[in-house]
Amino acid sequence: MPTVHYVQPDGSETVLEVPEHESVMRAAIVAGVPGIVAECGGQAMCATCHVYVRDGDALELPEMGEDEDEMLDCTASERTARSRLSCQLKNLDGIELTVEVPERQL
Amino acid sequence: MTASPVTDLPTVDWVDPAELRSDPYPIYRRLRAEAPVAWVPSVRKLLITSFSGCLYGEQHPEIFSSRVSNAHMIRAIGGRPMIRKDDPEHAAERSTVNPTLRPKAMKERWNAVFEANARAAVDALEERGPETADLNSDYARPLASQNLIDLLGLRDVDVETFARWSADFIAGSGNVLEDDEIWARCDRSRAEANAALDSLLPYLRRVPDDSMSSLLLQAGLPEESVRANIFLTISGGVNEPQHMVTNMVLLLSQHPDQAPDVESDGWGAVFDEAVRMYTPIAMVTRETVADSVVDGVGVPSGAQVGLILASANRDEAVFDEPDSFRVGRSDHRHLGFGSGAHMCAGKWAAESSIGRIAVPELYRRLPGLRVDEARPVTWDGFAFRGMTSLPVTW
Repeated sequence: MPTVHYVQPDGSETVLEVPEHESVMRAAIVAGVPGIVAECGGQAMCATCHVYVRDGDALELPEMGEDEDEMLDCTASERTARSRLSCQLKNLDGIELTVEVPERQL
Repeated sequence: MTASPVTDLPTVDWVDPAELRSDPYPIYRRLRAEAPVAWVPSVRKLLITSFSGCLYGEQHPEIFSSRVSNAHMIRAIGGRPMIRKDDPEHAAERSTVNPTLRPKAMKERWNAVFEANARAAVDALEERGPETADLNSDYARPLASQNLIDLLGLRDVDVETFARWSADFIAGSGNVLEDDEIWARCDRSRAEANAALDSLLPYLRRVPDDSMSSLLLQAGLPEESVRANIFLTISGGVNEPQHMVTNMVLLLSQHPDQAPDVESDGWGAVFDEAVRMYTPIAMVTRETVADSVVDGVGVPSGAQVGLILASANRDEAVFDEPDSFRVGRSDHRHLGFGSGAHMCAGKWAAESSIGRIAVPELYRRLPGLRVDEARPVTWDGFAFRGMTSLPVTW
């Protein structure tokens, strides 16, 4: 079961054990992690579950699809090379992942 | 930590359905204050009117199912559309139309269509003249219809016929009193729409394009589902953008200081705040499939629930002066498009076609456009609410 650290802009952190099939977004919604809005519920129709992945290169993350790439152009906080939609991060197979929640989602 | 006490579900007996149609906001305010989660026998639903409660319902589809029993919508459109299914069944249908409804498709494919339609619609409004023009019937309705005809890839149907189908499907979907006359006109419109699809669908099978109808077909869905989802789109895709044209113009007429320059990119924010103020889809229906606790109130399994998004969007617990129109307010998100898997599929299309194109085009061509105080503004609707007449002059 992957462990996900959600780091808020003020540095505070929530740590969740995320069930294998569940996305980093859905786990945050269920646990009430602030700053993950997820307006479209995980279909890459919005960009309100945007996160910055820390040290993502060292991890085996799902590849970014065309839809996710397109929607990341619509984020409220600046898109960087570390930007992902957390709804697309799932099936993470036991890894430990740290995501930073951006200042704004809207 | 001690568990929060769970209170019993209250029954509210003072909600008058006629008043919900004529002036719902004072009722919502009282419900939020006295019983934000309550059984309301006069509408035969458990109504949730708080922001937190509506959000909870939207974010927990495993409790608040969209597979509602006795759904009038299914009777009205002759099949079960995706809005009345849960994931993963819903996602299999919804994902087929998403690609043509994302912001990139708006920019690359649809905005040029919406712009041409808006220009033609302003021509017609101008011809009508500033003494008698009604922004609802002379601009908003024909324009919203034409935009959706194009998005669906329909041909050979005029805007007034199309708008009538939409109105009849909506009337049928809300026909809780089983009015025979409503079923009769709903059935007639469905027969006409089915006849139009009898010629369109075989054509699109031979010559696929990027219209919503074609994408539903290309995904290999059974034809019954294709038709149900096209009819769902016809039902939900005219009224709401139509109402947003009149909502924006009414609000800007009352608050001219908040109107952005026609060439600026401030129109998305006006659209968004207008959706919050006068949410066109005031209520979405769900059915609980497990017991839960919402805002500290016990909600039983098997209840038909109305999430009152229009009330959530005026909740004083999350919005500062919620009854004030304030473009660019950043205190909180609103729930006007729903939140979760059933978030309005047409959100980006509506923001583009209405917020960024149709309304600024009006002010570009008719800079003096305003509500004509000499003639009455009329509203109607509970679950779906908007202006039935907005007299304008310029």
